[in-house]
Amino acid sequence: MSEFFDKVAELFSTPEYIDSLLHGFLLTLQVSYFAILIGVALGTVIALIETARKTKWTAVPKFICNVYTTVIRGTPMALQLFIMFFVIFVIKGFPSIIIAIIAFGLNSAAYTAEVIRSGILSVDSGQTEAGLALGLSQRTIFFKIVAPQAIKNIIPALGNEIITVIKETAIVSMVGMYDLNMAAKDIGSGQNMASYIVPMFTAALFYLATIYLITFVVKRIEKGLRKSEMRGAEK
Amino acid sequence: MEKSTELIIKDLRKTFGKNKVLNGINFHLSEGERVVVLGPSGSGKSTFLRCINWMEKPTSGEIIFDGEVVMEKNIRRIRRDIGMVFQHFNLIANLTVMENLILAPVKLKIMKRDVAEKRAREMLRHIGLLAKMDAYPAALSGGQKQRVAIVRAMMMDPEVLLFDEPTSALDPEAIGDVLALIREVADAGMTTIIVTHEIGFAKEIATRVVFIDKGKIIEEGTPKEFFAHPKTPRVAEFLKKVL
Repeated sequence: MSEFFDKVAELFSTPEYIDSLLHGFLLTLQVSYFAILIGVALGTVIALIETARKTKWTAVPKFICNVYTTVIRGTPMALQLFIMFFVIFVIKGFPSIIIAIIAFGLNSAAYTAEVIRSGILSVDSGQTEAGLALGLSQRTIFFKIVAPQAIKNIIPALGNEIITVIKETAIVSMVGMYDLNMAAKDIGSGQNMASYIVPMFTAALFYLATIYLITFVVKRIEKGLRKSEMRGAEK
Repeated sequence: MEKSTELIIKDLRKTFGKNKVLNGINFHLSEGERVVVLGPSGSGKSTFLRCINWMEKPTSGEIIFDGEVVMEKNIRRIRRDIGMVFQHFNLIANLTVMENLILAPVKLKIMKRDVAEKRAREMLRHIGLLAKMDAYPAALSGGQKQRVAIVRAMMMDPEVLLFDEPTSALDPEAIGDVLALIREVADAGMTTIIVTHEIGFAKEIATRVVFIDKGKIIEEGTPKEFFAHPKTPRVAEFLKKVL
């Protein structure tokens, strides 16, 4: 037991180790943050195309979106990451963090699109009909009626997707990137087996704290959005 | 000069996949008429009503409103003049009662916001729901929701008001309140088409009764002749069951 506490003391008293952990954590946050931004932006576009009325103008984009989400969701993230690194971006000197962000962003977009699409479709068709019957435009109906109601259904699932992306970025260590996961392994390696425990659990705590914070924020937003559903609610 | 309201429907047909719901409806509505549409469930009476303002796009046939053939390019404008009240109220869940009432008039630039709000307040006071002005629909009872929905349609000053089974989702007490409001709207001279199962109400309010069965109008007439002397065996049978 005392050996364990020695290890804890060693980790937190060695600036080099702390530096490694924080560096790794920063990379994890950077990749996750920008991937989620890309995911939400592209995912929204895909969802809007998928839920648009079928016309001669939307048929081809709809098909492309369908193929895209099917392929992305039907293949492993790790494989997509490899393809990005070793097939598409084989250009020498291209920063790996950008490649990782693109890979995770494109992946997350497919899942986010599903989340947004089902959020939009879950709004009762009577709500749209009410707007149509009043002579409102599709645009007004979407922004004033459908979108505000869809967001309530989207936020919790989107929170899940954000959490998934943060944890999934741990696989960037497979292409040699120094993220939080890699930092834990790096600090622990080269010594005896027991020394792995402390850095790995420390890394776990970093992930857990980040995700706990996000869960907390999402719950708060959710609560605010549900206000109009409460029976006594008034503006 | 305002044209007088006239709705002409020629050979209206509507199919959902292989299911033929409307099989050639011909119909004429003049200003001030109060038409009640009766028929067994599944006869197509709701679909007929929903085709008038293109909630369901007709498969074929013509709808002529005030001399204009309803088409993709004029339907939005025409919908402003054809109000609709739904079976399930369809108040916008994320908007308060007041916002529900003024959304369309303000967005479509029919009224300035303050004018719309003033008018909405007057109407809400009239139906005894002014206190619910800032409440969300979830806080209202079914009857209150439907009365707000009727007022919402009235805010647009429609030429025709369509009621799609307005009391079917309500409890008996609420039905009375909603029917009273519909009667009041009708008495004020509003041209209406009402799809309903409330036979007593139909008798009392209708200037004309239309009976739809299997997607066709098989009989129509004044309530007096329709209820007392049905011309077809199908209607006689229907009336025997419901009266």
